[in-house]
Amino acid sequence: MELKEENRNGTTLIEIEHIAKIYRMGTEYVHALRDITLQINKNDYLAIMGPSGSGKSTLMNIIGCLDTPTKGKYLFKEMDVSEMTDNDLASIRNKEIGFVFQTFNLLSRSTSLKNVELPLIYGGFGASARHEKAMKAMENVGLGDRVNHKPNELSGGQRQRVAVARALVTEPSIILADEPTGNLDSKTGLEIMNLFNELWKAGNTIIVVTHEEEVARFAKRIIKLRDGLIEHDSVNHHQRALTEEAQP
Amino acid sequence: MNIGESIFQAFDSVRTNKLRTFLTLLSISIGVFAIIGAGSLVDSINGSVFSEMEALGRNSFFIYRVPALNMGHNWRKYRKRKPITYSVLKELKKNMTLAEFVTAQGYSFGTTIEYGENETDPDVGLIGADENFFTAQNVSINKGRPFTQEDIDYNRSFAVIGNDIVVKLFPNIDPIAKKIKIKNHSYTVIGVLESKGAVLGESQDNRVIIPLTEFLKYYASLWEYDLFITIKSQDYESLNDAIDESIGIMRSVRNLKPWQENDFEVETNESLTEQFASFTDFLSYFGAFSGIIALIAAGVGIMNIMLVSVKERTREIGIRKAVGAKRRWILTQFIIEAITLCQIGGLIGIIMGIVASAFFGSLMSIKLVLPYSWVIFSIIICTLLGIIFGAYPAWKAAKLDPIDALRYE
Ligand SMILES: Nc1ncnc2c1ncn2[C@@H]1O[C@H](COP(=O)(O)OP(=O)(O)OP(=O)(O)O)[C@@H](O)[C@H]1O
Ligand SMILES: [Mg+2]
Repeated sequence: MELKEENRNGTTLIEIEHIAKIYRMGTEYVHALRDITLQINKNDYLAIMGPSGSGKSTLMNIIGCLDTPTKGKYLFKEMDVSEMTDNDLASIRNKEIGFVFQTFNLLSRSTSLKNVELPLIYGGFGASARHEKAMKAMENVGLGDRVNHKPNELSGGQRQRVAVARALVTEPSIILADEPTGNLDSKTGLEIMNLFNELWKAGNTIIVVTHEEEVARFAKRIIKLRDGLIEHDSVNHHQRALTEEAQP
Repeated sequence: MNIGESIFQAFDSVRTNKLRTFLTLLSISIGVFAIIGAGSLVDSINGSVFSEMEALGRNSFFIYRVPALNMGHNWRKYRKRKPITYSVLKELKKNMTLAEFVTAQGYSFGTTIEYGENETDPDVGLIGADENFFTAQNVSINKGRPFTQEDIDYNRSFAVIGNDIVVKLFPNIDPIAKKIKIKNHSYTVIGVLESKGAVLGESQDNRVIIPLTEFLKYYASLWEYDLFITIKSQDYESLNDAIDESIGIMRSVRNLKPWQENDFEVETNESLTEQFASFTDFLSYFGAFSGIIALIAAGVGIMNIMLVSVKERTREIGIRKAVGAKRRWILTQFIIEAITLCQIGGLIGIIMGIVASAFFGSLMSIKLVLPYSWVIFSIIICTLLGIIFGAYPAWKAAKLDPIDALRYE
């Protein structure tokens, strides 16, 4: 139980205890999550897997403070998220969490740089600080020369890298990616995973939801969900490490 | 706060929902147009009519053919009245014993004055005056002389000019005894007016005065052909006696039998001022009222556009919330958008209103007064309109659940 030991060292980022999420559809109740207990430490690299409808996205959204659980307790950096107001949640999302979506979710009318600046606007940064940070994030993902392109002038892989830059720009405590490669071909998907790998090595905490074994292999730890329950939680002994290997 | 982006977004929604936005902006424009148009017209009337009336003081009264504010009825009766001509004015001057002065004048705006090769812009005020004009209007002569009664009676081609004309046409020359031209008629300059400077940005020196008889002959527009006679009694106590005296003279000049009604109107400065004030008040309230009705209709349109915009941009709202936008940010963004939309419509209305009142002003020979207070009023109203009718859509956007919004197709 090495995870518990790390906890004692004070590196726990997220503690989830007996969380459930129940949706009401008319008279029916859908148990998207039944009873999840989970701990995530700093610099974890977690892959969440499981069949469609097993509750991966629901769990991810709760971790990302986009959604709140119906039951149970969620502590983010020892703050009780289940008690928070809308504004508090927005503020956590802004400062602590970087989200990467399957469908990129970029503002189509804004340039990639403006997209990356968006979280900084809501974080209250001034124009010049915004520009500087966003430029740096764009360079980090290798798109320093695409800052004035709009999303529809970029390839899928480039769009996802813009989304990663947007997730990174506020230097969040954790990066959450819900099927980040789902809309990309395998080669571009690999590029994105490479990017995550580097971020992880630089000390970031990362959670990736995926269907693909190929993608999950990058993670340090793999969780399998089924019907709203954790079926399996283990260290990935076959972690596919390195950038060199990933390069075609 | 990212106001720029919200304003940009407002323009964008004009672009993407052309027809609906156009119709709504049109109704805002019409509303603002009504407010500005009426306000501007009223201010212009007040500017030219009231200042003159006030200058004349309490012991003045007027004689004229048809009521100034005739609201339609009895039109037939008034139409048959004989015009009040220059000879009527002369009879009054000759026979009034209780008057300090009897006078009448004509105005025409937008005249061009020529001297040799040079000419002024077509914006000079042309005034037809008699010998009492200078006393009645408190206008003094700087150089040369004013008109005498003979100048008027004999219809002499003389002119007294304002300082702007001197600057424009006689930069280094003495204008006295020079010949200027107005619409091909030639006039000898006999005097220069004392400079009065500008009032509300309007120069008071951009005018040329010619004898009333000459004015009536060539420049009077149709309804100015009838003289509007101003009489000032010696003091306020003798005002009623002076009025009675003038009525007697008028009746005899116009050969009225004892049983016949007066075929002219007599009104004191005070009562006429009141009538004008109630008319202009009515006009501005009417304009403001109908404008506000149009604006409320427009507000409903704005709300509709904003609701559609919120719906179309649900995903965008989700994205913004996902990266940390608080409710009040989304709220402000959409309200600013609504305000911007309203201001676009309002601006068009302001321009239309000013253009229209300039047009009517020139028809009525009144100088346009820019209705600053009404412009500000319209801007405030448009802002309120945006806030009031943008609030509901903005609130809807702000309270969207981030997950639902992100999932929206
Ligand atoms: N807003 C909602 N209302 C009702 N039911 C919902 C809602 N969101 C999710 N569910 C249900 O909760 C369950 C879990 O959904 P979730 O999206 O978490 O699955 P997932 O594991 O991400 O699936 P996939 O791999 O297809 O993305 C599903 O049965 C789904 O129908
Ligand atoms: Mg999912």
